[in-house]
Parts: sequence; structure tokens; C-alpha cells
Amino acid sequence: MVSKDHEGRTYPPYRLRPDPELVRKYWLALGQSGADATPPLTYPIFLRGERHGVELFRDLDIPRHRALHAGQRYEWFAPIGCDDELEVSARVERVIEKTGKAGTLWFVDVVYDYRLLRNRELAVRETSRLIKRGGV
Amino acid sequence: MSLPSSAGDVVFDTEIAGSSRATIALFSEATEDPNPIHVDAAFAERCGFPQVIQQGPMTTAHFARLLARAFSASRLRVLDLAFSAPVFPLEALRLVATVAAVAAVEAGRLRIDLQATKADGTVTARGHAEVDAETE
Repeated sequence: MVSKDHEGRTYPPYRLRPDPELVRKYWLALGQSGADATPPLTYPIFLRGERHGVELFRDLDIPRHRALHAGQRYEWFAPIGCDDELEVSARVERVIEKTGKAGTLWFVDVVYDYRLLRNRELAVRETSRLIKRGGV
Repeated sequence: MSLPSSAGDVVFDTEIAGSSRATIALFSEATEDPNPIHVDAAFAERCGFPQVIQQGPMTTAHFARLLARAFSASRLRVLDLAFSAPVFPLEALRLVATVAAVAAVEAGRLRIDLQATKADGTVTARGHAEVDAETE
């Protein structure tokens, strides 16, 4: 299971700066081989938090083999440039349990706020919806 | 040429070529995604899939890229997608964006319906975007 006690859990903020090499690989994976150094709009992604101590899968007890990604929501408020440093804060917004024909599933919404360090402006809010499947 | 701005206008209807396993692995690198389900076929099988699966966020990234190209990145406010079926290597996707309504969510915004579909008709992602209406 995923306990509802996780709702509201927050993590210490961490800092993130777009990495030019990762930006290049990102565009390349999308079939855009041009030399665009601008970070893709979806460059901020919760997965980057793992190496900054936001170990969601461990903390929520979601083994990788039982994890699915149900969806994403991005809200953009200000552009992020290649030289912008961001402060990222993460929180577990919601945990919902549903039981159906496929067994029990847990839906977890996690919200990441990306603020521009230079003026504290909220630039992007990303919500990822994770699923933990039942089983062993 | 005027931009799509009326309900029913098609913003884009584009086929994205299937991604190779190498490209999927590159996207994992670019997003710092540690989940082996995208790169390790044996692990993917253990998770119940016949082979590695493409990242849902890759579909999100393509929609964001195409919407930014259609309207400019500065007008894109929201992108919200639910992933409904796995995408496997080399499976092409048809990405369709259609203006659903004007000012349905907030004054001065267009709501765009989004859908990603495989060649066999399987819908792999569905959602919407919100875009600032064009200013004079």
C-alpha cells in the first residue's frame, strides 16, 4: 500500500541549473538535432530530484517494478533560460487507493515548484501522477 | 497564415516516428530517469511488458514542443496529460491537437484538446493544454 500519511509530505528545497549536455541529449532524443541551447519546456522533471535527496519511490515504498507513470501536468509562469538557477521544492499532494478488476492501485500526485533563484518567481509547477500496482 | 483560434480548429495532426531503444535510452539519460523499465528488457518483462517501454514524458515533451512551435513557448500556460497505454520501441504515434474552446477556463485562453494514438488506434495519452489567446 501507500499510506495516506504521506499526503502533505515536503522535502528540503534543492537547486537545479539546466545542464547543457542534458539539454542537448533531450533535444536529440526528440529528433531535434539542432544546436538549440534553450532548455525544453519540460526539462524540469521530478526525476531529477532523486539525486538531490527526493527519493520518492523509496519513501513512498513504490518498488520500480510496480511503478507506473499515470500522467503529468505542467503550468508555466515564466521562461527558464540556460543560465537560470532554480530552487525546487517537492511535496506529496495526494494519495488515493482504488480497487478494481486489476486489483488495488495507489495513485500518488507529487507537485514540484521551480522558482527562479534570481527573483524567487515561480517559473514552473509540475505535477506527476504515479501509480503503485498491487502484487509482490 | 492565421493561428488556430476557433473551436474545432486543428492545431496540428502529426505523426512522430517510432523511437529506437537507443533513443529511449537517450531520453532516460536526458531526464535522469533511473527506471530500468526503459532500458532493460529483462526488467521490463518482469514488470509484465514484452519489451522496454517508452517514457510517458517523451509524449509530453513532443506535445510541448509542437505546441510551442504552433503558438510560441511564451503563450503556453498548461499542459496536462494522462497516459493510458504503454508505447514500445519503434511504435509511431499520431499526435493531434484541436482547439476545444475559447475562454472556457480563463478569459483570454484557448483550451486545446490533445490525443496521442498508435497506428492500431490505441490511445496512449489524452489531455489538454491552455494557451494565451493572441494579443493584438
